[in-house]
Amino acid sequence: MPSRPGLDPRTKIIAVIAVSAAVMSAGGGRFIAAGLLLAVGLAVWERAWRRAVVLPLFVGASAALAFWVPLVRPHPALGAVATGSFLGLRFAVALGVGMHLIATTSPTQLSAAFRAWRIPRGITVSTSVMLRFLPLVATEATAVLDAMRLRGLTGLRAMLRHPILAIERFTVPLIASSLRVGEDLAASAMLRGLGSPHRPTSMTPPRFGGRDATFALVVAALAAGSVLLSPGPA
Amino acid sequence: MSSNATTPVAPASEDPRLRLTMSARDLVNIGIFAAIYLVIVFTISFAGVVSPLLIVVTFPLSIIVAGIPYMLFLTRVKHAGMVTIFAVLVAGIYLLAGHPWISTVVTVVAALLAEAILLAGRYRSRWAAILAYAVFSLWFIGPLLPILIDPDEYFSSATMQATPEYADKMRDFLTDQVLWMYNAATFIAGLLGGLLGAALLRKHFRKAGLA
Repeated sequence: MPSRPGLDPRTKIIAVIAVSAAVMSAGGGRFIAAGLLLAVGLAVWERAWRRAVVLPLFVGASAALAFWVPLVRPHPALGAVATGSFLGLRFAVALGVGMHLIATTSPTQLSAAFRAWRIPRGITVSTSVMLRFLPLVATEATAVLDAMRLRGLTGLRAMLRHPILAIERFTVPLIASSLRVGEDLAASAMLRGLGSPHRPTSMTPPRFGGRDATFALVVAALAAGSVLLSPGPA
Repeated sequence: MSSNATTPVAPASEDPRLRLTMSARDLVNIGIFAAIYLVIVFTISFAGVVSPLLIVVTFPLSIIVAGIPYMLFLTRVKHAGMVTIFAVLVAGIYLLAGHPWISTVVTVVAALLAEAILLAGRYRSRWAAILAYAVFSLWFIGPLLPILIDPDEYFSSATMQATPEYADKMRDFLTDQVLWMYNAATFIAGLLGGLLGAALLRKHFRKAGLA
């Protein structure tokens, strides 16, 4: 939870989509630096220090693999690694901006933003169920893995010898216990009005403000800068 | 969305439902199964982060294993639209996780095709469900599309300049033929996942009253 008011959730969603579109599209390589700056800036602003340090390190390492290593030591195998790193580099930048959205937006704020956009109820409601449910399934997954470890079923050799059995032992209990938790969750959510045809009101309705305007200006400046400073048509 | 009274228990198993109105129960089911599907795919592909070589194993494995919750989900799909909403949720999460936007489009198109197959099987056919999962799994080709759409950028990058003969080889290699091989591998993994899911439905979930 953010301790102080942040950006409007809608601004964050648009920012993630815009950065992903810019970085992943044809000739998107020139936006990588700007996207990284934006992601690190958001992390610092949000005081997520670990992300502010790890993200540039990861991007730097990928960039080294993608551009520097092949120059020093040209080799076909390294070429494959370099191509992969170039793709991974783009992923990391888009993910960096996405992590800001995930870390600072609660499911309620997100569904309020979706309602403000008049996104159909089917998508809004199921999204909030999924977001509420993801951590529960993750917890169940660790519990199932612990139980498997206790019975000595997680050994690499046993898994390789009977791969289908290993899959079965992990997924079947995971799905069964998740569904049981899900039934309870669904019942309580429906009692509190989930899926009702009425439009719910929000404690913190999404509003665009000065912060969002400043953010938009920064993004525009970064985008213009990367277009102008890029060495010719990529 | 209209709010006409939808019967919570739908015993009808014969008639295909074209009605798009979702009951609250439907929406909860979509959310729950999307979460299970994502956790399973993430758990398995996480092993691929450790070593790039493992991706060769984890990539088809994640498709196969994720077939289990997906096939169980399909037994709860009673009418059109649910499979598509499921895909929108999965695609949305992946969009936030840094996948290219084109991958989002591919996911939704794959889901619409899967929906058409299910409709042809009147939402009750087991083989239609298996085929639908294989078609839906084709969304896994999305993340690689940037390389295929814009090969020029990849092949003119510093990497490839340093090893021109390798760049030429890669370029010959990463063409239609490889794309089709990749597609075929994805599709086959999807079929296997659907079959595994159907088998486990019979073996466990139906017995436990979950299917």
